[in-house]
Amino acid sequence: MIILLTGCHAYVLDDAQQDLRSSFTSGNYQESSQLLQEFERNEVYRSKDAVLKNLESGLIHHFSGNYDSSSVFFDRAEYLIDDAYTKSISRGLSAMLVNDNTLVYDGEPYEDIYLNAFKSLNYVHQNNWEAALVETRRMAFKMEQLDIRLKGLAEAFAKQDTMGRMEWQSGKVNIQNSAFSHYLATILYAKTGKPDDSRIEFEKLKIALGEQAKIGNTDRPISDELEAIKDPDSYNLLITAFSGQAPIKKQEDFRLWLDGDDGDSFYVKFSLPKIELYRSRIHSIRVLTDSLPPQNIMLLEEMDVVSSEVYKAKMPIIYTRSLLRATAKAAGSTYLASSVRKKDKGLGFLFNVLGIIGQETSEKADLRGWQTMPGKAWMSVMHLPHGTNEIEIQYLSPSGSILYSEKRTIEITGETRLDLIESIYSY
Amino acid sequence: MKYAILTTLLFGLLFTGCRPTNKVNRINPSETTDLSGRWNDTDARMVSEEMISDALSKPWLNQHNRQQQQPPVVIVGNVRNETMEHIDTEVITKEMERAFVNSGSVNIVASSDERQDIRQERLEQQEFSSLETMKAMAQEMGADFILIGNISSIVDETPDRRTLAVFYTVNLELINVETNQKVWINNKKIKKLIERRNYRG
Repeated sequence: MIILLTGCHAYVLDDAQQDLRSSFTSGNYQESSQLLQEFERNEVYRSKDAVLKNLESGLIHHFSGNYDSSSVFFDRAEYLIDDAYTKSISRGLSAMLVNDNTLVYDGEPYEDIYLNAFKSLNYVHQNNWEAALVETRRMAFKMEQLDIRLKGLAEAFAKQDTMGRMEWQSGKVNIQNSAFSHYLATILYAKTGKPDDSRIEFEKLKIALGEQAKIGNTDRPISDELEAIKDPDSYNLLITAFSGQAPIKKQEDFRLWLDGDDGDSFYVKFSLPKIELYRSRIHSIRVLTDSLPPQNIMLLEEMDVVSSEVYKAKMPIIYTRSLLRATAKAAGSTYLASSVRKKDKGLGFLFNVLGIIGQETSEKADLRGWQTMPGKAWMSVMHLPHGTNEIEIQYLSPSGSILYSEKRTIEITGETRLDLIESIYSY
Repeated sequence: MKYAILTTLLFGLLFTGCRPTNKVNRINPSETTDLSGRWNDTDARMVSEEMISDALSKPWLNQHNRQQQQPPVVIVGNVRNETMEHIDTEVITKEMERAFVNSGSVNIVASSDERQDIRQERLEQQEFSSLETMKAMAQEMGADFILIGNISSIVDETPDRRTLAVFYTVNLELINVETNQKVWINNKKIKKLIERRNYRG
């Protein structure tokens, strides 16, 4: 019963995650916020899912313009991820045999990185550039540490697997720089009178774009417009747009009937989580103003592609755990059924069937993830004249038709050093 | 007898369960409390104490007094946070201001943020205050020196994140506003090794 109920909650959470994604995608953040509160009241998000709840709340508050609240939720998520990671490293092997859904969600490494992106934007909105730079540094540090962190996780499991049943290793991480963090840091250093730091960040930005071009198979030329971000006097507005959605985790089941040594058939079920990219309809984003010619915003970070790449590096660890868990369960139930069968053939058959049902119900891939995270980040700077400026942000399809557009009014004065406009269209 | 024991045990359990879980003790503010390993009041105090004693004992102060026959006027500027933590650097600068003012050897003028409010107040006094109490415009004391600085950090951690080493460097500089000459520089280094406990999971 316990196994069944545990499995049941995981399915409830999966449905809730889908509902939240749909609600956020529609752009009704108030509804998303209410939905989240409802999930909390109904214990859909339990204490083990606190990271998720804080990530979702952080982003919903961010796009609702509640930057203080957003930062508080992201702070909490970051702390919980750090805490849960250390715990997951020090758990015994027994925890590996439990369904992943019953464990504390410790956040995907890419979620840990991108929460800092939104925190940094929170601080830019609040004109606290120093704090925004703290967040970009944290992002850069976490990106650099990705490979070491995943290898550390694999090593920890290898140490716990004292019988050496499995080969524990992580995949190769082909990305170590975030274009988003280096772009924002280049701008903020330039604007705060630190040209050397700005230049260094720009060099790292070029490396990040190169890395992303490799994993995303898209060319990212360094344009004159991009070079201009080092010159703080050449712009007074930063436009950030987000499109698409976070990658989707899906369950893939494998069922095997194997022949045992004593002629008994051996049933094994594996449930593996795989990650699928959401196919956004947005091909480009254009900005129209009263005073400047139309300008395309630069696709800066394919957060979904980076996430998928990072997840791929973690996949061997997840798969090894699932394999170990499924094999242990199958071996246990087969041994039990076989022992009972020696005394009572009918009862042995019943135990065999129960073992299969047990595996079917308890084997479920962990599909938990940050649902409201956008898929792609776009950024550009521009210099607007003093006065009231009307801006239109157009989200375009591959054929150039406008799928969504948003109008904003911005007041530029002599005092304006850097204003930020943020927009999102999640399709 | 049996019921009496059981009742006592039950009440004991109930009272144990009802006891508030939060316990608060007032402690001496100068006591060291390292809880998370992050930058805290102890670090800020260590930096301020060392910086203050050094700044007040170095030759720039006597040289200025000898040449100008009056204490220097210092404005405390911005100490930039260049770490990966959100650090309130005002804790350090306010401590320095306090020590400078209380020493009587240095005059401190309001910082740029504080000045905006004071100037606004003075402006409003011209319109709303009596002539006897109204403060005059353009009588601000110009600073001879500005104190600026930064805090940077290097973080190193083991792959399992259970051991973390953080190396903080706090740099402070006193610069002559007229000549750009740096008359005093000091830095304070703090290295922390944070070992996280073994969790039960």
